[in-house]
Amino acid sequence: MVEVKLVGLGKRYGSVTAVEKVDLTVADKEYVTILGPSGCGKTTLIRMIAGIIEPTDGKVYIDGKDMTGVPIEDRDIGYVFQNIALFPHLTVQNNVSYGPRARDLPPEEQKRISRRFLEMVKLLDKMGMLPGELCGGEQQKVSLARALSSGSKLLLLDEPLSALDSRVRVDLRYELRRLAKELGLTTIHVTHDQEEAQSVSDRIVLMRAGTVVETGTPEELYTRPRKIFTANFIGETNLLEGWVLEIKDGVSVIELRNGGNVRVNQADHPVGYAVVISVRPEFVFPADEGMRAIVTAITYMGTYWRVTANTEDEEEVAFDSATLDENLLTIGKEVYLAVNPKAAVLYPRPEDGVQEAIKLE
Amino acid sequence: MDSLIAVISRKRFRTGWTAFIIVFFLFFVILPTVYILSYAFTNWGSIEQYVLDDPAMLDLILNAISASFQIAAIVTVIDILVGLPMAWMLVRKQFRGKALLDTLIDMPLAVPTAALGFSSAIFFAVTPDALQAPSFALNAVTSPFILIILLHVVFSYPYMVRSLSAILVQIDQTYETAGRTLGASALSAARTITLPLFRAGLVTGIILCFARSLSETGGTMIALATMANSQGFQTGPTIIGMWKPLVETNTDLAAPLAFVSILLILLSLVLLLVIKLVVMKVHLPMGRIWPRPEKLFSRGWFPKTKDGLAVFFLVLFVLIPSFFIFTYVGSVESASFDWGPFTESLLFSFMVAGVVTVIDIALGVPLAVYIAKNRTGKLSDVLDVLVNVPLIVPTAALGYSLGVFWTGQNIIPTYDVLLIILAHVAFTYPLVVRNVAGAVEEVDPAFEETARTLGAKPVQAFRRVLYPIIKSSILAGAIMAFTRSLGETGATQAVVASAQTAPVYIVNLINLKTPSGYYTAGLACIVLIIVSFVFMLALRYITNRRSR
Amino acid sequence: MPDVKLVGLRKSYGDIKAADGLDLEVKDGEYLCVLGPTGAGKTTLLRMISGLLVPDKGKIFFDGKDFTRMETEERKAALLSQTYALFPQLTVEENIMFGLDIRGADEKLKEQVLISMLDLVRLSGRSEAYPRELSGGMQQRTALARALASGADLLLLDEPLRALDARLRISLRIELRSLVKTLKMTAIHVTHDQDEALVMADRVAVIRDGRILQIGTPKEIWDEPDTPFVANFVGQSNFFTGEVMQSSPYTLLRTPEGTVLKGRSSDLAPGTTAVLGVKIGNTDLSKERKGYLKAKVERIIFEGRNLHVDMMMDNGQRISSKVPSWRKGKIAPGDVVDIYWEESKGTVFPMPPNGLENELKVE
Repeated sequence: MVEVKLVGLGKRYGSVTAVEKVDLTVADKEYVTILGPSGCGKTTLIRMIAGIIEPTDGKVYIDGKDMTGVPIEDRDIGYVFQNIALFPHLTVQNNVSYGPRARDLPPEEQKRISRRFLEMVKLLDKMGMLPGELCGGEQQKVSLARALSSGSKLLLLDEPLSALDSRVRVDLRYELRRLAKELGLTTIHVTHDQEEAQSVSDRIVLMRAGTVVETGTPEELYTRPRKIFTANFIGETNLLEGWVLEIKDGVSVIELRNGGNVRVNQADHPVGYAVVISVRPEFVFPADEGMRAIVTAITYMGTYWRVTANTEDEEEVAFDSATLDENLLTIGKEVYLAVNPKAAVLYPRPEDGVQEAIKLE
Repeated sequence: MDSLIAVISRKRFRTGWTAFIIVFFLFFVILPTVYILSYAFTNWGSIEQYVLDDPAMLDLILNAISASFQIAAIVTVIDILVGLPMAWMLVRKQFRGKALLDTLIDMPLAVPTAALGFSSAIFFAVTPDALQAPSFALNAVTSPFILIILLHVVFSYPYMVRSLSAILVQIDQTYETAGRTLGASALSAARTITLPLFRAGLVTGIILCFARSLSETGGTMIALATMANSQGFQTGPTIIGMWKPLVETNTDLAAPLAFVSILLILLSLVLLLVIKLVVMKVHLPMGRIWPRPEKLFSRGWFPKTKDGLAVFFLVLFVLIPSFFIFTYVGSVESASFDWGPFTESLLFSFMVAGVVTVIDIALGVPLAVYIAKNRTGKLSDVLDVLVNVPLIVPTAALGYSLGVFWTGQNIIPTYDVLLIILAHVAFTYPLVVRNVAGAVEEVDPAFEETARTLGAKPVQAFRRVLYPIIKSSILAGAIMAFTRSLGETGATQAVVASAQTAPVYIVNLINLKTPSGYYTAGLACIVLIIVSFVFMLALRYITNRRSR
Repeated sequence: MPDVKLVGLRKSYGDIKAADGLDLEVKDGEYLCVLGPTGAGKTTLLRMISGLLVPDKGKIFFDGKDFTRMETEERKAALLSQTYALFPQLTVEENIMFGLDIRGADEKLKEQVLISMLDLVRLSGRSEAYPRELSGGMQQRTALARALASGADLLLLDEPLRALDARLRISLRIELRSLVKTLKMTAIHVTHDQDEALVMADRVAVIRDGRILQIGTPKEIWDEPDTPFVANFVGQSNFFTGEVMQSSPYTLLRTPEGTVLKGRSSDLAPGTTAVLGVKIGNTDLSKERKGYLKAKVERIIFEGRNLHVDMMMDNGQRISSKVPSWRKGKIAPGDVVDIYWEESKGTVFPMPPNGLENELKVE
């Protein structure tokens, strides 16, 4: 049983606030990702959990125990570093057996544990090598084995995949989740990569500028994000500005700034209210009527075509098409675009404008 | 301007320039430094006659040289033992007063060794009554051997702390943190992870410290002159300093002088190799961890005591001896002081240091850039090793060798000033080259490469992109070269016996053994300290302003 | 506006062959992506084109002229490096003007170019800032403007987006490409990111071990891979081994278990051992329809647009599939499903000489 609880956890450096009072409970065996752009405070947060950084506000509880003042080595955690940080002077096996050695387990036990975890990441044959002789993905797997070898049931992953090639990253994220689940670990994983977060997590905590924007399952954050920032950050989306024209039977008709009208199955803003619609490219489709736009680019995405079109007031709308009928879709062609009313989400139009609300840096 | 750039951008010009720089380095720096070794081949007969067959002479020389090496070894060990905790504290810990501590450590660097020698000798040693040492001086050391060790620790300790912390900064702290997340206590992680990674850097620190101690002449001579009874104690460099003025009238000393120089040069080079091999090859039992005791030592009173002792050592054995001279001059009766000769010698020292620094920069930066950029080349490797030679060879031996080299030829005139400048160039040039080469290597080559792809010729890329980035390192190199030249006694004396530099002037005053002599020497030391302090501050100000 | 042609370039570092007979032609005005894993020789290729590295063998032509040993600064090929290499002591404006300054352009032209460049990369308000005061994205755009303003015709991009956050990277792809297209430059862009290459390139060259494996439009690379490595590196693929039964009009492959699989036509002789690769995005699964194979669903991961489904076949082989998210709820872990694909989506390759596993290694 490992449960992690953060109560009002915050960190200030002088007048700069890196993390603003975060409350979060990670349940036993849960895989939680802390996602956000650079400088959002996610790394500071995980480092406070590990005890590498002392918080200025609030407390960390692991298994109900207050961790204030408990040094790193007594917190019983497994930690994987962004820069991998394998001890360069020790062989792969000695890296992995470092944890058992630090706890003064008998030599046979050290050997058994290191073999077990190296086998788990399928690197038993590289046991005698030095870290420098391995490629990036292998190094990170060894570092994972090393973190697990301490026997801790709490795994903290600090941007574990960001130093790797993107193709290697894709393979490793499925493996990460598999391992965490098989071993029944409570996992907290920090990343800036939204695709990675979606693939590995039970739950995502989205952060921005030191605060938590929103928490939810990957599905919740993708299909029903509560904030515009979330809608834009997780997966691609079209953000279209407009006004509520009328409401009927729980369906709002929105008049868009670009001239078109679209229907959205949502009725929580009154008529005349300025709104923003978020709709994913896969839920926009060519139709007989809707937003008028001119096709500007067509890109092959492997299993579908991504089409971008410009509306009359130069708003860009992206939509996906499974096939490409060249009579209907070519660059320069006029199309009318409709929106799947079930998949669109309405937001009040932000005061500082949409761009400010979704700004990444 | 454009046509000039076009000319110097030509491949042929670039090759020619590089060749010139390398020839300069080999012919003006390396060759004179080790030239004396050839004496062993050409004049073995005189060495046999005047040294090997004269047991008293041989005994004297061997004792002095063995004392030199013993002192250097002991000093190095002390420096590591007390320097490591200090370096650790400065790099890895955050505490109030850290900036102050950081500055305090640098302070002795600004004090010329001559002044250090006098100041520490007054503090540590039993001194003659005529000196009127203050009652609160330690006034305890009677052994010249121990006094010299203490003195060498004073001036080499800051170097050791600086080079240790430079290495420590480069070792990613994540390794240690990783160790701690795996359950190792702070001490275990530091011992089993950081220390092994520290090894290569440690070699550099040891060699530099060793070489500095082995070389030191001026301060040593002054300290020996200051103590009540130096029992005729000599080190290798002081023997050279003692004999060199005599060799012109007593040619029998030529062979012993050459012999001392050869021994110093050879032994220091061999020792260099040995240190390198030993430190890199010795396998320490780093693997084992003792969780319980190490945990105990990681927290509570032990780290605090360790840090406290490090600071205590700094204050008692480094800072107080360095600046004790102020107390001394303040506490004794004043005497009249003729500034004339002293100002002259001071001006002479500054003039030499200035010219030397200019030469070092003009001809050292190109070599540094060449070495740093051709890391994979064989020639560059060889040059890189050779650059260290003048740093390791004791400067007195270097000076003697260089003097013999240049006076034995008819290519350039042999004015005293010129010889002194050449000698100072020989041992300061490597400082600039190493410093700048290190800086160039740190700079991402992408800067210059990108500039080239944007249309800049190699010269333009250097001038407009690389130079502004490494400017502060060049200045730092210049400061080091300048202060080293300013404080140097051994090489100056060994190349021109009659040279009246400031340290020589101070020794002469001390040797008067009169109250007013001592007082005047003290005053001269203070002036020396103040002048070099002002100078360092000015340079630091310029450096800071330029690099913004 | 140059076209660039590389003929038989070779470059070795000791035993490592960074370029092992590279042939490549880049057309005037083309946006070419060179895609490959770390250590494939991408950077070496770029450095040889820029003149920072002289090849051991082979020739480089710009517009038909032999440029193999031409000085870097004469090539008019601006490099945008991974780390941007913005000159730290210069402001944004001075950085952007560096190339024109060096070439001694007149003030009026400089003024003009500067204003248009700052506008183009949306940095007009920050022209006085120093690089360290800028965010990652701004630094990237400054470096780009500097390269564009230098008067170069050829743009060499060395992983230009790698240092940025994932989300920002996606936004900047389109922007970068359209800037280059607007200025009608030829671009060679090196990357390890297959999505980036697919979205940005006119043509993609897949490189591995210092050799170009395949060059073609993104669609060709995706749909008609020449080797199993390409099939797996660009979008993941499932692979099945078996024996060729026929190769035209479509290929039939019999697995050791006796199942017959279908793929595109090939020129493999019946009886040869072969590998059939299908992109996981083209690997469909169904509970109703009859497929080629059966597999048991192990887990389903919601990834936004798609579901990622991992399955286990009877023979112990793991395969994966990506299906649209709306099918969530219609499949569940533990289900036994039928696997099928359109025959045009399966590509049959001869068995690689070093074995399939070595062939597919992505590092």
